[in-house]
Amino acid sequence: MTFIMMLRTGLISLGIAAFWGIGAYASAALVLKGGVSFWFALPAATVITGIIAWAIGYLLVRNPGFGFLILTSIIGMLISLVFGNIRWLGGFTGIEYIPLPDPFDIPFLAPIPFISKIPYYFLMLFLFLVVLISFWALYNSSTGRAWMAIGLNPHLAESIGVNVFRYRLIAFVIASGAAGLEGSFYAHYIGSINPNAFNIFKTIHVHIYAILGGTGSAFLGPIIGTFIMTFVPESLRVAKEIEPILTGALLILLIIFLPGGILSLLNLRQRHWQSFERIVRIARSIKKPPSLIEQKRE
Amino acid sequence: MNRTILEVRNLSKYFGGLAAISDLDIDIFDAEILGVIGPNGAGKTTLFNVISGFHLPSRGKVIFNGQDITGLKAHQVAHVGISRTFQASNLFMSLSVLDNVFTCHHLSYRTSLWKRFLHTPSAIEEEKRLRRGALEILEFMGLDPLKNEVAAKLTHGQQKALGLCMALATHPKLLLLDEPVTGMNPVEIQTMLNLISRIRSRGMTIAIVEHNMQAVMNLCERIIVLNHGKKIAEGLHKEISANKEVIEAYLGEEEEE
Repeated sequence: MTFIMMLRTGLISLGIAAFWGIGAYASAALVLKGGVSFWFALPAATVITGIIAWAIGYLLVRNPGFGFLILTSIIGMLISLVFGNIRWLGGFTGIEYIPLPDPFDIPFLAPIPFISKIPYYFLMLFLFLVVLISFWALYNSSTGRAWMAIGLNPHLAESIGVNVFRYRLIAFVIASGAAGLEGSFYAHYIGSINPNAFNIFKTIHVHIYAILGGTGSAFLGPIIGTFIMTFVPESLRVAKEIEPILTGALLILLIIFLPGGILSLLNLRQRHWQSFERIVRIARSIKKPPSLIEQKRE
Repeated sequence: MNRTILEVRNLSKYFGGLAAISDLDIDIFDAEILGVIGPNGAGKTTLFNVISGFHLPSRGKVIFNGQDITGLKAHQVAHVGISRTFQASNLFMSLSVLDNVFTCHHLSYRTSLWKRFLHTPSAIEEEKRLRRGALEILEFMGLDPLKNEVAAKLTHGQQKALGLCMALATHPKLLLLDEPVTGMNPVEIQTMLNLISRIRSRGMTIAIVEHNMQAVMNLCERIIVLNHGKKIAEGLHKEISANKEVIEAYLGEEEEE
């Protein structure tokens, strides 16, 4: 979803995994070295990622297009080296024994310990919903429309008064912040992190999710794509050695025959529906006295 | 004479060594309709690009309502109240006609960003109001029967009219129209000219860059003629059509072709 947010403003970032990693490291360092609770580290990691993204974005977002693509991909590649070379953060072996989240206290109920996978699932679901709802709110506000305007036609957007640089930067920061949030969760879920988990291939994976699902929709596309990309390789596990090959072949087929993603299947139906609607509209307008429209034009 | 709304002083713009505009002085008066004509490559569109902030001027000043707007970025220029249309149809092609205009209300929001993000009642009310405003503009321009159509499906003439609606949606004080009737058939041209004079009758200041001499002659009271980036004539349209230099600039061009 973060990918789509950027794409809307005409930016393609290959550095998402870097910010994911920053979030994970920030959170792990806060808990292990800073001694704070997971519940504080989670939002803090998000904010830290956002601030770092703001600083990086301030320099990079100015020249979109290939420059941005290359520079973000360089950041994506550098990040594992950077983390790997900071002794304080465990070097290339990474950070291990990241504590589980503290039991979550709900008033009048027993605290929920994070031992089994179920609390994680609900936490993930909750975070997912928070991100989903706030993204939805953004898309449906003036901010979202400004993004859309930039993505569709940056020159025109500028001429109607959209500060293109500012809105691109906002998108970059929010997208990266969300990646940081996810990173923080990931670190505490897996329990250990190492720099190589955050390399550029992870970013590409995320992009495949989104493209597969369909870039036309901000939410459904990535969700469907992720769903399929998680389940299809799993169900192909029978032939474990050739699983990546099968998945790859499937992807290639999809991109050739469904370049709009899975969701474009839906659009096909919608198009039929629209033409049907148009026929109805024309049929209705015939009944109306034509002078009505003429009068309005005067 | 009305007061001056836009002053262009000693404006020059070079592309490499080539002067697209050199030492240009132009005044646009309040509530007038000014035509800028000239042969190909005379620097007309460059002039608009510099005024609207898409190009930085190499030298000179642009003053709008007493405020120096030289070198402001395009979105800042839009903010002070100058809106423009583009030569080519420049729309959000995949959006509906209504959404195109609605999107252009970007500068019209009064509620805070947080309220808009949280979708508070006042923000929702504002959205509704702006959507109505967009519809009103379409009605004013006679495009409301097409409001649910996708912009890409409109005819060239309709697209240009939509571009005009979108420029209006930013509530400008000065409207810059870059070749509003180029590439249209005579019927479309007449419709467009009617639309422009209708906007004009609301007291809008308009400047038009156009190749079509007849259209400009019909529409504009005052005309400025550019050639090779310099102003070669300025005056009422009768004076212009009798001006020797202007005829030479135009006929000379045509003989070469």
